[in-house]
Amino acid sequence: MLARVADSLYWMGRYIERAEHTARLLAVNLESMVEQAPEDAEVSWRRVAAALTDEAVAGMDAQSVTETLTFNRKNSSSLLCSLSFARDNARQVREQLSTEVWEHLNRIYLGTQGENSESVWVHQPASFFRQTLEDLFTLGGVTYSTLRHGEGWRFLQLGCHIERAQLSSRLLDIYFGVVAPGIDQDLPEPKYFDWLTLLKYCTAFEPYCKEYTAALNPAQIGKFLLFDAEFPHSVRFSVNSIVDALAHVAPGAPPSRRAICERLAGRLKASVDFGLDELEGGAIDNFLVGITKQCEQIHDAVYAAYIAYDAEAVL
Amino acid sequence: MRGPPYTNYDLGLAYDEMFARDGSIRPPYRALDGRLRTLPAGELARRQNACEQSFLHQGITFTVYSDAQATERIIPTDLLPRIIAADEWDRVERGLKQRIAALNLFLRDIYNEGLVLKDNIVPRAMILGSKHYRREMRGLAVPHGSYVNVCGTDLVRREDGAFVVLEDNLRVPSGVSYMLANREVVRRAFPNVFRSAGVLPIENYPNELLATLKSLAPFQEDVSIAVLTPGVFNAAFFEHAFLARRMGVELVEGRDLLVNDNVVYARTTSGLKRIDVIYRRIDDDFIDPLIFREDSALGVPGLFNAYRAGNVILANALGTGVADDKAIYAYVPRLIKYYLSEEPILDNVETFLCREPKSLDHVLANLDKLVVKAVGESGGYGMLVGPHASAKERAEFADKLKADPENYIAQPTIQLSTAPTFVDGAIEARHVDLRPFILHGEETKIVPGGLTRVALRKGSLVVNSSQGGGSKDTWVLSK
Repeated sequence: MLARVADSLYWMGRYIERAEHTARLLAVNLESMVEQAPEDAEVSWRRVAAALTDEAVAGMDAQSVTETLTFNRKNSSSLLCSLSFARDNARQVREQLSTEVWEHLNRIYLGTQGENSESVWVHQPASFFRQTLEDLFTLGGVTYSTLRHGEGWRFLQLGCHIERAQLSSRLLDIYFGVVAPGIDQDLPEPKYFDWLTLLKYCTAFEPYCKEYTAALNPAQIGKFLLFDAEFPHSVRFSVNSIVDALAHVAPGAPPSRRAICERLAGRLKASVDFGLDELEGGAIDNFLVGITKQCEQIHDAVYAAYIAYDAEAVL
Repeated sequence: MRGPPYTNYDLGLAYDEMFARDGSIRPPYRALDGRLRTLPAGELARRQNACEQSFLHQGITFTVYSDAQATERIIPTDLLPRIIAADEWDRVERGLKQRIAALNLFLRDIYNEGLVLKDNIVPRAMILGSKHYRREMRGLAVPHGSYVNVCGTDLVRREDGAFVVLEDNLRVPSGVSYMLANREVVRRAFPNVFRSAGVLPIENYPNELLATLKSLAPFQEDVSIAVLTPGVFNAAFFEHAFLARRMGVELVEGRDLLVNDNVVYARTTSGLKRIDVIYRRIDDDFIDPLIFREDSALGVPGLFNAYRAGNVILANALGTGVADDKAIYAYVPRLIKYYLSEEPILDNVETFLCREPKSLDHVLANLDKLVVKAVGESGGYGMLVGPHASAKERAEFADKLKADPENYIAQPTIQLSTAPTFVDGAIEARHVDLRPFILHGEETKIVPGGLTRVALRKGSLVVNSSQGGGSKDTWVLSK
């Protein structure tokens, strides 16, 4: 596979994941805020903003946050920007995608580009995000069932799960951590309702109940979202997916170039596999920062080994 | 006055593809006519809309550079097919095969012995002075003597109904993906007419292109082929991606390739992969910054030397533009006689070379009747359509002509034939041309049909997509 194509597929995977994560947080919060007192709703919006952007947000009301996180083109991590970047990357590698994948993504892009916070506020604003989420779920299914699960698909998976691990870590940090610099420092302790919302942000409420019953316990919620091996939105699941993808990309690359990526992936897996024991002490924020940093190192190593390598050196 | 659904259909001076002079329906159009008469009101508009939605979702768009607002637009497509009878196509096909054979012989000649120049068939200065003549190509052997492997020849129908050649596109002709995309949507819009009319298939074009490219590297077992594109911002990017996908070969950009020791490699995740044949969709000027334009970021440094060394095949070969120059065009009938000792099967449009003083005088005196074209331009740029220009525009153009006559040719305005087109809810007559695609390698292949371009503005004779043109599916009927 061409190195440039791998690059585009990797970023396509990342942007689609980012779009889905953004749409999910906004849909959930727009739906749940109706049950909250105004001051609690404002705290929820601050958490959502902190989870999704480093940019300053004009006001902590539903429409302002939604505008910044969804429609503002100057915010490069807004939902519409993520969809637009995902589609740009897909267009670059159009010949590598199935017609179904390309047309589905293109339709999502075309269907959302004309919208803004005013146009979606006319109707139920949450329905715009639910629809986008459903379209993205369908895209996931179409991708799974029409694309060959070869190297290109592995790069999509790699991008998706590196992005998901980082986004999940950031979200969990806001609830569990002594939050990292740059993120809103003065958020109050989460309440019962906030823990419920956190599970919904991660589509985890029902799976969590099956495992631990509906008794919401922050320690168990943390354990589930970090370490459950079978839940697709747990950090551990993403880490395992990263390791799996890395084992299958660049099959013809010499062992010397593969070694560094595989070593880093092994270390990340080990830190999640043994993380539960280490976390008994309670230093969850360091742990989450460690996951994010290791994902960045893997990203750099993949680029150095397979995408932006020095061609002269391999001749 | 014609009855519904043709109440808006005006026959002009031009030959009409559907209606004979006496108002009867020409035989190839009878099946379509039967359907159009029975379609419920609004149904045509619904189907047209479905076509356009399909193009939008597929991302079949082109880029307009003069428009800073929206760079990506759908190419307008018309769902009424343009239909050609079997015997007419037969003549066109023979004529095109004859023409591509002569043009390839001409290119081989001027880059080698130069007999055609020694025999004074074509002025030496015109060839050596052409900006598309590539000195670097002299003495270089190309597989099967085939310089032009993919050719798009623009044909028009004269008032008398004869197909004539308007121009040859021998460099990087585009449009074949629209031909195939139009077929897919129109076949869906008129499934029954399509079946009953007996339309010849064109879907094998990508296979034929692949076979042509493979035939250029006949000694290799496992030949590695790539389509070279300028990238996603190029107007024809959709087509480049489409052809790569349908052929099952790699689509590469200049930055994916590198040359080492005169061998071309693509950078893959696993390492470097050798490339043997490149179907390049980048102009000569941009292909290698070491030899041609050094500011080109699209090309591959060292590619030309790899080509000269015989380690990679480029299709089309470099330097083919010298033969599709609008001035050389006037000599093609003579070239057919010179190389093949045959009479041309397809005529040229009558052409005045402004480099000849007598012709220049004639052109200047008849500017209001002629179309004047700059020799090195394409895409409808740098031309004057005399009958549609204002007196001021003609005067300004006359000055340009006098200043640089060698750069211009003139042709009488041809009333391109008209064909039924669905415009603003009604079926109207619009002018069309035809661009068939000719493949030339070990063999010569033409898929039956081509891209019919249509001038969507009423009365307009300019069919280029950059100038408000659209396209149509083209049906060639079986015998």
